[in-house]
Amino acid sequence: MNLESSTVAASLDAIRAELSRTKLSTSTLNFIVWIDDPNRRDWILERAAKLSRKHPSFTLVLDNTGADGGSATVTTCPRDPESHFTVQGEQVRIDASRFGAEALVEYVTALCPSGVPTLLWWSGIRESSRPAFEALLPLSDTLLVDSSGAVRDESALRLVADFHRARPTVVLRDLAWMRLSPWQDMIANFFDNPALLNELYTIRKLYITSGSASEALYLGGWLASRLGWTASGRDAFTDAQGKEISFSRTIDGEIRRVHSICLDSDTSWYHGEVTEDPTVVSIWVEGDHAREVRLFPLPAIDTASLIERAILEQGPDEMFETSLRTVGTLLG
Amino acid sequence: MTSTLVNPLRKGLVSSRITDPCSIVFFGASGDLTKRMLMPALWNLRLADILPEHYGIVGFSRSQFSDDEFRDAMHEAIDEFSRTGPAKDPLWSDFAKHVSYVSGKFDDPASFATLREALERNDRELGTGGNRLFYLSTPPSVFAAIVEQLDAAGLGPRDNKTGWSRIIVEKPFGTDLDSARALQAEVSKVFDEKLIYRIDHYLGKEPVQDIMALRFANVIFEPIWNRRYVDSVQITAAETVGVEQRGGYYDNAGALRDMIQNHVMNLLALVAMEPPVASDADSIRDEKYKVLRAVRPIEANRVTLDAARGQYDAGSIGGKPVPGYREEPDVRPDSNTETYAAVKLWIDNWRWADVPFYLRSGKRLGHKNSEIAIRFRSLPHRLFGEAGDALDNNVLVMKIQPEEGISLRFNAKVPGPKMHIRSVSMDFNYGTGFGVVSAPAYERLIGDAMRGDATLFTRWDAVETAWQIVMPILDRWLNTIDESFPNYSAGSQGPPSSDRMLAMDDREWRKI
Repeated sequence: MNLESSTVAASLDAIRAELSRTKLSTSTLNFIVWIDDPNRRDWILERAAKLSRKHPSFTLVLDNTGADGGSATVTTCPRDPESHFTVQGEQVRIDASRFGAEALVEYVTALCPSGVPTLLWWSGIRESSRPAFEALLPLSDTLLVDSSGAVRDESALRLVADFHRARPTVVLRDLAWMRLSPWQDMIANFFDNPALLNELYTIRKLYITSGSASEALYLGGWLASRLGWTASGRDAFTDAQGKEISFSRTIDGEIRRVHSICLDSDTSWYHGEVTEDPTVVSIWVEGDHAREVRLFPLPAIDTASLIERAILEQGPDEMFETSLRTVGTLLG
Repeated sequence: MTSTLVNPLRKGLVSSRITDPCSIVFFGASGDLTKRMLMPALWNLRLADILPEHYGIVGFSRSQFSDDEFRDAMHEAIDEFSRTGPAKDPLWSDFAKHVSYVSGKFDDPASFATLREALERNDRELGTGGNRLFYLSTPPSVFAAIVEQLDAAGLGPRDNKTGWSRIIVEKPFGTDLDSARALQAEVSKVFDEKLIYRIDHYLGKEPVQDIMALRFANVIFEPIWNRRYVDSVQITAAETVGVEQRGGYYDNAGALRDMIQNHVMNLLALVAMEPPVASDADSIRDEKYKVLRAVRPIEANRVTLDAARGQYDAGSIGGKPVPGYREEPDVRPDSNTETYAAVKLWIDNWRWADVPFYLRSGKRLGHKNSEIAIRFRSLPHRLFGEAGDALDNNVLVMKIQPEEGISLRFNAKVPGPKMHIRSVSMDFNYGTGFGVVSAPAYERLIGDAMRGDATLFTRWDAVETAWQIVMPILDRWLNTIDESFPNYSAGSQGPPSSDRMLAMDDREWRKI
């Protein structure tokens, strides 16, 4: 339902009246979504709606693209007459371009149920959104960003790294990092054989091809943080013995995806490459420790699933934060 | 396991992958269960990257298949029955390389020698490390023969010097107490109890596992989980399906043996047991066994009062006409087999003294519905409510299928100037609560057996005790013809005799 109101109070009354038509039976979270990029608006709305449908949650979309025409939209999930249970995923979308930061805070505090975690998905790209960000951040338990959501280059990741350096206590999640867990597992799998563990300490070159910079930088940062490498310039690390590991990154293919990796050790080449099925990676080893091709599935990498993981895993993610700090050093 | 601990890249990574390599053998591989459940479960474990890196799958049955024909048949089965849709390349082709087939008889030593060769080939070529998991998805009548042949072929744990050998046994474990004991005697000659995984797929369902979480991970329920606050407990396993293609089996089994003795009794144990001292398999199974031991034996002369049976007649399900039980394929036209069973049990211990547990299960009922309903006692004093207001008892419902979740019914004031009270429901649904779809039970249980986690499998002492509980009813029903059969219409709530059983206690069944 679209509600036209001229003041915050009037629109709050109208929203509350609409929400009261159904009852929220179980609520697991508040999900606040900020959008100011018209190009990504539909993509983000679709995923927010998907999450809203799956979770008994309250989703508040603050749309600063101006596309909402000054209205507030309330979407409630009615009780399914065929089911004893209620799928509750109320969503309120507000044209945030009409309001200042104080009014947005009023919406959040008035509408979001208390006592459940609040996740802020920040997809803002405009500098003018900064006051809204600063106002909404204290109201959230977890900040969710996507450093490869809109851009292929490293600019967004640099902002994330700078933010974490400035405010290390904010519980932060980056979808670009979360997409990498199958790749991390796959790379670790190369070296699960104890006989190959020493290979990890003879890696000299690291090649990653990805659709955006964040994925490659995060994987490099993760390996560095696990293996005691330190960044030495933008394209190299130094290991504990002072030996250099070159880091080659190529941006190619679908954005937000890793396409191939190769780790060169003194004796072998460890390869991983996406197959014609984008959900399957083939891995193989050449050289002294040659192994024939094996296949690895890449499960649960859709954005809604990643957001769910961000919800379920509360508190700081030490591995992510350590890797992010390494990335920050790499970016200078 | 050691390798993952010392690999620095593993630190902080969460992986569900099973670490032990393993070959799994499906006996009865050409059967319905393998096609519908087992192979799709293994495929989905592979898709989720849970299968170990080194694995082999061997089908064994009497049907003649080449390896490729069996793979093709399993590909079709996965395409049709897998929850994740058709199997696609390149992963399917990779998976298929791990699948092979042995055609043989369950009592033929030569067939088991061929099986042994297939497993040794898996060890050599697929790196399965001598670990073997044997899955008996065959009729119970051949369980003992398979176990005997496994031992004779050197495939039992005694001869396995390089890895482990475990066995999964499908229900029913025996057809009565004597046959169950005889089967146990045969199986335990070869496999120690810790190596026997008696599968009851109900235990792999998320809501069943959540019974323990609800009870022992929350402080608010346990204080009222006893005779002081609980009026009665109803456990229901209702199906809309008939016997489908299983008429021959079912007509020799019936609802009491097919459902009550295993699935429903397991639910009773989980809901009534004392808190276990730890969360390991044996601590939990100790408590399940203890509470089953406390179930009061039904005396022969009480069977007609404390149990009810039914058999469905023709009727309609979802608006479609369906035949009566005696008209189903492979069912005797004068069958005395019950398709509905209801039982009232008492648990003679401090927690549950005088609290009746009503158990029921049936086919061709009005709705598919499995649940446990804890009905709490009435208010000691009625303070609120207008004369016409009905003050319902609080009810906590654990929904098992098709919905999965928890519902609590309580009384609340109707908005307005007067103190009208109405019953309302507070619901929690797994799918929406956590945003994930529960994996089918077989995926969880096969994975657990590969890991060596027996928590969700039934131990022999509990199986034996469950048979002891139902035997007086079974004996009575086998030895007396129920002249009222068929006594309920397909699509109904069950036979009137079941309603009368509760009416005698001034109670009634929850609507299915």
